[in-house]
Amino acid sequence: MQRIPIKLAKADMVLAKDAITPEGQVLCGAGTKLTEELISRLRRQGVLVLSVKGHPVRMPGECSLAQKLKELDKRFSKVGNDPVLRALKHLIGEYWVIEEKGPEFLEKLKKEAKH
Amino acid sequence: MDKAEIKKRLKEIQSLPTLPPIVSKLNEMVADEDITAVKLGKVIEKDQVLTSKLLKMVNSSFFGFPQRISTVSNAIVLLGFNVIKTLIVTSSIFEVMQASDVGLFEHSLGCATACGIIAKRRGIKNPEEVSTAGLIHDLGKIVLRSELPEEYEAIVKEAKEKGLYMREVEQERIGTGHGEIGGILARQWNLPERLVFPIEYHHKPEKAPDFKEIAAIVHFSDILIRAIGFGYGGDPWVPALDHGAWERIKLTKSQMREVIAELDEKLVELQDFTLEIKIEG
Repeated sequence: MQRIPIKLAKADMVLAKDAITPEGQVLCGAGTKLTEELISRLRRQGVLVLSVKGHPVRMPGECSLAQKLKELDKRFSKVGNDPVLRALKHLIGEYWVIEEKGPEFLEKLKKEAKH
Repeated sequence: MDKAEIKKRLKEIQSLPTLPPIVSKLNEMVADEDITAVKLGKVIEKDQVLTSKLLKMVNSSFFGFPQRISTVSNAIVLLGFNVIKTLIVTSSIFEVMQASDVGLFEHSLGCATACGIIAKRRGIKNPEEVSTAGLIHDLGKIVLRSELPEEYEAIVKEAKEKGLYMREVEQERIGTGHGEIGGILARQWNLPERLVFPIEYHHKPEKAPDFKEIAAIVHFSDILIRAIGFGYGGDPWVPALDHGAWERIKLTKSQMREVIAELDEKLVELQDFTLEIKIEG
């Protein structure tokens, strides 16, 4: 699943979550295949962000999950001994793994790490 | 350039064209007790460019108002005069920053967003004020960049080469840090102390004479947004955490997960906002 600004949405992408207005009103459901017309209608209703299946858009400067996790590690290199910040780092890493690969994948990783 | 010279230069910043003349007029008006948001809004709305910039900022996702704010007086009622005034004072600075340092601009917007999320969770009365403090927490860096460009470049270069925090190099080279510099300027602009202290003390929030909670939120939001890696604050390192400040505002692991998820969602919206700015130039 990937969250993208609606500006970058294209026809044939499939919604992974309901499309909602900033006020919280659901406009169309998960699983809907987007069309150009639907996208412009959603935009007119004030939708800013869509969650779509897969990872169809490379954002500027975006890199692979493995690369992201490596850089996360590097950013924390000066504060690696702080227990609070170490926990923060793990939570961010876990969040990214779940977002891109799903919760099952994270469980698998954790099991592998234990062995 | 020696340290005394640098201090002198910073004192003179007041005379820069960064402070729109409308601000002193607004300050006078606010001193008048009978003033209303509608009257203030009317004065601001005479300046169409400023108005459109202002409305764009107040409608951006880091304040997170569900409904669109379409008039300045409405914005004053919803966000408070402190926030509007700060946005006006800093509007030209942000314009410079958008053009010259998109990374720092995104870092500032991201920090503002995180501040708003945490402030709302803590039930702070005017969370938009905390967002605004986050938005301008690195004011000192912008000032350094525009006022002492050679010194700024040397600081960035040295920090990069030696793998240091920018503020370590600032301290060593100019005897003060971007927090203090931002504080000096914010004070010269007569911003309220609830905004001045969090800027000045965002790296040592427990030393703030007052508004320690807001300072703690800005401090942690700066850490959080750097940890996630959104924008670029001059060096790539996650700053050290002040544990006194953390005790004030600490989150459990599950709360932290919620904050990360909420922030991530908002950052995507923010990207939309910065993309728009980049496209419009």
